Parts: sequence; C-alpha cells; structure tokens
Amino acid sequence: MRQLLSLSLPAGLLIACGGAPEGFENIHCGEVEYGNCIEVGLDADLIEVVNGLTDDTAVILPRGNFEFDNQVTIRGANNIALYGQGMNETRLDFAPTEVQANGVDVVSDDFLIEGLEIIDAVTDGLRIEDSTGVTIRRVRTTWRAEASPENGAYGIYPVKVRQVLIEDSEAFNASDAGIYVGQCIEAVVRNNVARTNVAGLEIENTQYADVYGNVVEDNTGGLVVFDLPGNPIVGRDVYVHDNIVRNNNRPNFAPGGIVGQIPSGTGTFAMASRRVEITNNTYANNNTVDLAVISGLAVQSTASNWAIESDQIIGDIDGLQLDEGEGGAVLNYRSSEVYIHGNSHSGSGTRPDNSSVSDRPLGFLIAVAYAGPDPVDTVLYDTISESAFDREDPAGNSNDNHICVAADEGVTFSSLNLPELAEATVPNKNMTYRPEPPFTPFDCDGFREGPIVRPTFAD
Amino acid sequence: MRAIVFLIGITACAAEPWVPQSGRPPELLSEMNLISYQDGELTYPDEMIHYTLGTPLFSDYTDKDRAIYLPEGAQMAFDDYDTFDLPVGSAVIKTFLMPADLRDPEQGRQIIETRLMIHSTTGWQNWPYVWDEEGRDARLRVQGGTQRLSFIDRQGESHAFTYLVPQRNQCQECHELKGDDGRNFIALIGPRSRNLDLVHPQGDHQLEAMHSLGLLDHLPQASERPRPAIDWEAFIAEGLEGRPYEEIEIAARDYLDVNCAHCHNPRGVSGISSQLFLNWDNTDEFRLGKCKRPGSAGHGSGGLTYDIVPGDHTQSILHFRVATTDPGAMMPQLGRTLAHTEAADLIAAWIDGMEPVDCR
Repeated sequence: MRQLLSLSLPAGLLIACGGAPEGFENIHCGEVEYGNCIEVGLDADLIEVVNGLTDDTAVILPRGNFEFDNQVTIRGANNIALYGQGMNETRLDFAPTEVQANGVDVVSDDFLIEGLEIIDAVTDGLRIEDSTGVTIRRVRTTWRAEASPENGAYGIYPVKVRQVLIEDSEAFNASDAGIYVGQCIEAVVRNNVARTNVAGLEIENTQYADVYGNVVEDNTGGLVVFDLPGNPIVGRDVYVHDNIVRNNNRPNFAPGGIVGQIPSGTGTFAMASRRVEITNNTYANNNTVDLAVISGLAVQSTASNWAIESDQIIGDIDGLQLDEGEGGAVLNYRSSEVYIHGNSHSGSGTRPDNSSVSDRPLGFLIAVAYAGPDPVDTVLYDTISESAFDREDPAGNSNDNHICVAADEGVTFSSLNLPELAEATVPNKNMTYRPEPPFTPFDCDGFREGPIVRPTFAD
Repeated sequence: MRAIVFLIGITACAAEPWVPQSGRPPELLSEMNLISYQDGELTYPDEMIHYTLGTPLFSDYTDKDRAIYLPEGAQMAFDDYDTFDLPVGSAVIKTFLMPADLRDPEQGRQIIETRLMIHSTTGWQNWPYVWDEEGRDARLRVQGGTQRLSFIDRQGESHAFTYLVPQRNQCQECHELKGDDGRNFIALIGPRSRNLDLVHPQGDHQLEAMHSLGLLDHLPQASERPRPAIDWEAFIAEGLEGRPYEEIEIAARDYLDVNCAHCHNPRGVSGISSQLFLNWDNTDEFRLGKCKRPGSAGHGSGGLTYDIVPGDHTQSILHFRVATTDPGAMMPQLGRTLAHTEAADLIAAWIDGMEPVDCR
C-alpha cells in the first residue's frame, strides 16, 4: 500500500492527474519509486519528519529555504531518499544553529540525497557514516563566508561507507576538505566541483576508489590521497583520472590539524598510499608542485604508531606487501605502487609556499631548495624507505617502493631524499636526484600485482 | 513493594506505571505513570528503582534524576563490564532540571526535559519529552528543540545559554554500539556495575539493595566487582590541590570514560573512526591519545597537533576540546554548551603529570 502524505500544504495546491504541486515542479511524489513519500511544505518541520521515518521512504522538499537550529538527523530507517528541487532551488540553511551540529547527518543504508544546497553548517555540511549504498547527487555544500577558518570542517563527508557515489555535486569554502571520502570501501567520485576549500577533494584510508571528471580549483591543496595512522582500513586501489586540478593557491586557512600542513599551491599528493594510479589529469598553475609522493613517516615519524593489529583490519589487504610490526601487526606508512602517467602539466611550481616553516615545513623546504628562476619539478618523491640513493648515478638509486613516473611531455621528476635534504644547512635541489627521461629506475609501468581494481557498482 | 529504599517521602502515584512494548509511546508523559513533578520534586511509583551514578555525564550543570522501570517480577542481569541487561518491557527514565543558583538549592529549579528509553520488542528506543513551562506535564517531541536557559554558577556568575533537547535520532549518536556481528544496536550507557557501586545519598548501597530486593539476578562480592567509579561530586568538592597523582589519574580516566567513551570506545559507532579510545580500561597509550594526531578533527584541533602531548596540556587537543565552548570544536558533541571548568582542570592536571614526551 503506497502512502502519500503531504504535510502543511493547503489541499488546493495539490494538483490532480499527476501534475506537480506548487514548489515541487522538478520532483514530486508522483515521480519516485518508494513505498512511502512525504512532500514537506516550507512551513513544516523537516526535523520532525526525519525523526519519524520508516524504511523505504522518499522525503521531497519544495523550492525555497528551510532554516534550522539543529541538524537534520537520519537514523534507524533504511532506503531513504531526501530530494530537493535542485542545488539552486532548495536550500537547507543552518546559520541559526547555535549548538554543535552538522547539517544533514545520516546513518542509513541505501540512502540517496539529491538536488539541494546545505549552507553554514556548524561542523560538517553533509556527514554520512557507517552506511552501505549511498548516493550523493547534485548536492552543494557551502558557507557564506568565503574561505574562512570559522567555517565548518567538511562539506561532503561520507565516512565508513561501503559503495558511495558522489556525482555532479559542488563543495565550497570548507575549512578542512570540500569532499572527503574517509574509510570507505568502493567509492565513485565523479564530475564534481571542489573550490575554495583548504583541501579540495580527499580520499583517505579508502579502498577501491574511482575519482574522475572532477574540477578541483582555487583550494589550498587540490586532490589528495592518503592514509592516516592507526586506522583499520588500509587504503588501496585509488584511480585518479581525467580530472582538472588547477590554481590551487589559496593561502592555507585551516584552523589547525593535518590539513593545516598542506602547502598552498599543491596539486596532488599521495601519502602513505599504495596502488594509486594518477593518469590523464590536467594540472595547471599550482604554485608549489603538481604531484608529490610522500611517506607517512614524513608526518608521523614513529613507525610503531602506524601499527594495525591483524584482528582489527577491515577490508582487503591481499597482495599489498605491507611492512610488519610487532605481534603480526601491519604498518601502512609506506607509499608504494604509485603509477603516474599521461598527465598534462603547465605553469606550476613557480612560487612554492614558504609562509610557515613550522606549520608547513615541506612547502618551506621546497621553496628554499628550488630558489631561483626554474620551477619546481612536476613530480616529487620523498625517497623515504628506499635502500639506495645517489644524486647522480641512476644505478645508485633503488626503487623498492615501485614508484612509476612516465617521462611524458612536460614532466620533470626529482627524488628528494627528504631526510637528508631537510637536515642540510642550505637545502638545494642539486642535492636531489633529478634524472633525465626516462627517470630510471622510476621508469616502470603499472603495479607489480596486476592492474588497478575499480569499483563497478555505479557503472 | 520494591525499591522504596532509594526514595524519600511518600510516593503519590496510585496508578500503575507501564510502557508500551512497541510503537510510539503516549504523547503525554503522565499517561505512563512513571514520574510526577510537584513543588520542585520528582517522585516515582514504588515499583521503580531510583538511582544515582558515581561519575555522571556533564550536562550543562543541570540536575539529573534517574529511575528504572522493570516489568512485574522481572530482574536485571548483572554484568561486570557492560550495562546491566534489562528485559523487554523495561524502561530507563532521566529528567533534566536547571537549578536557578548552584550555590543555593532553595532558589528552586526549572524542569526541562525527560528522556525515556524503552526496551521494546525491536530493541532499545529513545523518546524525548519536553516539559511545559509550568512543569505540569511533558509532551513527546521527536524533533527535540532548543531553549534559552539561565543560572548562577558556584562562583556567583550568571550564565544564559542555548540548551539543546536532542531530537530522537540524535540520541543514537551516543547510544549506538557496533555488535560482534557488525550490526549496530542501541544501548544503555549509565547503569553499569562500576558506576552504580555506591551508597545512594538518600538510602542504601545501590547494588546491594537491588540484589537483596531481587531486582538483580546476582551480585559478586565487592572484591570481585570492577573498581567503582569515583564519586565525582565528593572528588570535586575536595579539589585537586595536594592530591597524589594516582588519584588524579583515576579520576581523569573515570571522567573520560563516562563523558567520552560512549563514543570513543572500540565499539562506539560515532567514535570508531577517530581511533581515540577513552574507555577506562584502554591500555593502548597511542589510542588513548598520547602523541596521536587526530584523524579528522578539523576545526576541533584548535591549531594543535596531538591529542595528548604528555606533560603539556596546553599543547593537547584533548584538553582543548574539553575546555572550549566553540560549537564547531567542543566535546562531547552533544549535551554540552557550557564549559565544565572543574573537568577541564582535572584533565589538565592529568596530562601535566604525565612523563613528558617529545611527540615529534
């Protein structure tokens, strides 16, 4: 039995014969395939509605603005859809909220959110946690103040989600990351725009991510892939292709945290990551560097803090050749199996971020080492956990981590040997290994254990 | 005739208390005969178990009053770690009242809300009831809401603030655990052995009384039970000055256990992703926060790098988040708008007393 509820709408506005009620022209209950459907009028209490949901329900919002003094919390019901009339039509405004709260906060399997804007959330705009089967489509998260440290942390933030699709969405002005895919297994992130955030688009401790068609611009750092220490999901198989990553030169406005260490002008880095393929992307005008491959030890130098006990591991670590710690624990600080090829580069590395030696030591170091008229090399590798390094002789360099960098047009490469460079009295790029093409021994192709595995649930 | 040992005065309710075992409970709290409020005092029917906790969750300096309802003839199952197991048809009820002046109970208090947890046939369910301004009855409000409240603190300073009555779905942020089968479930937080193991201010030793009245299926000897949580009010009344560090440490861990570990434990759905575990029995120092960088604290880091820098609370995010009132940064995320200064001082003393470590 299909139940159709229309809350707080004068009956006269309901148009018979399948027509749309006023304000619901783009989508209304007559158009969705859910067991229950609720059209929520502008004068109704959406928070009351979501606190009474049962499984298999669509909630449809009209054109217009909703204001809230608390978050919209969805729990305890699965197969829920929250539709607005479009990113420019339906706005959920959290500016009146004075308590600690997110915008839309969800734990629910088979959840869909589509066609609305979330503005001025106190903490995160859209937070979806511990759920399976999530679709985020044509959602904008933003804050009214441009690039302010007072803004909330994350815009679009699925965490611990299996099978998440984020598409055709926009994330602006987050004081941490615009789009943050954290601890997910199977993620597709496509055709989104991330602008004026500290970090534009982050893939963290995530397995099997396909990230393509995104425009990531005017952030502090663009599109980044990393693992954090002590997390039960070891990131792997992250496929970053056909994105535009440009002009990510916003001065870092993070109020703190790891993201506060990202040098302004960073295009992409892969940190503590493995099986990452970065291909066919367009990098342009990122003032510090387009691409960097970094060990987790560069930010958390105590290897034992990266230990994950074998009985805590979530997801698949087969074939990853992870280091072993005490008692059979695995350690995921190492960046390995990073395959960089077929990207285009222009205009980057001309003004590395030297704004803070204490907050952003890597930016400062690069700025000092590359002082002079030549830009920073387009691809940097920190050389941590390599058994051999020689600044001149290709044969004197190991590639234990199997970092593969194709010598495409416009690509220059440097293996920094970071620990030694950082200790130098006057760091200089001539202390690093800057090979001619084909960048031997970093001229390998692909991964040792077979090609990248991409998620197929959203095909 | 049951747990009257915990009650003062004579109970007024003649009607039998009850709760529905499924579905939405009545719109008016009074319909279930669980509680009544008159002349500033709460009373419960004889059948109910009025109890208190050694270390309570801080809730913006409100007074909290708690009671358990068990179906006729039912028992709670003792557990030496988790909350006691209450049978289907039970309920736990907690009422929040804001005193006008913390220095003077005679100034009265305003009754705000009552949270009702019912063990239904589909698991525990949370239901928020908000009292009317006159304190006559409380009405079910699944959407929760905010209220402006004011009070005078122990130092004589006036505070006005926005108090949040959580919406029904927000209750789960604190009350949700992940089971061994990977499925999430709603759980009680308060009634655990170690936090009930004390003499009720108006009665007997709680666990022993529950057991002797047949409300607990069994009770190990005191020496076999986990260490009781500290008596927070007594601890704070004596202050931190001149205390041995071992006492500071125990009190800090108990405070964190009650105020943080409902999420920050290895089974806490809202806390797992942080990998910061503040349960009292956690012995993993890294996941206790020592030299640990937060996963995704964002704003919450306060510009600091590590959760705990042993020896230096000013550099420790944990202390910052307990002390701050910045709504984007403070912890716990729910239930607090004001600073709990006594707790922040305790956490500072705990961190400062640790063997200093250079986390870099």
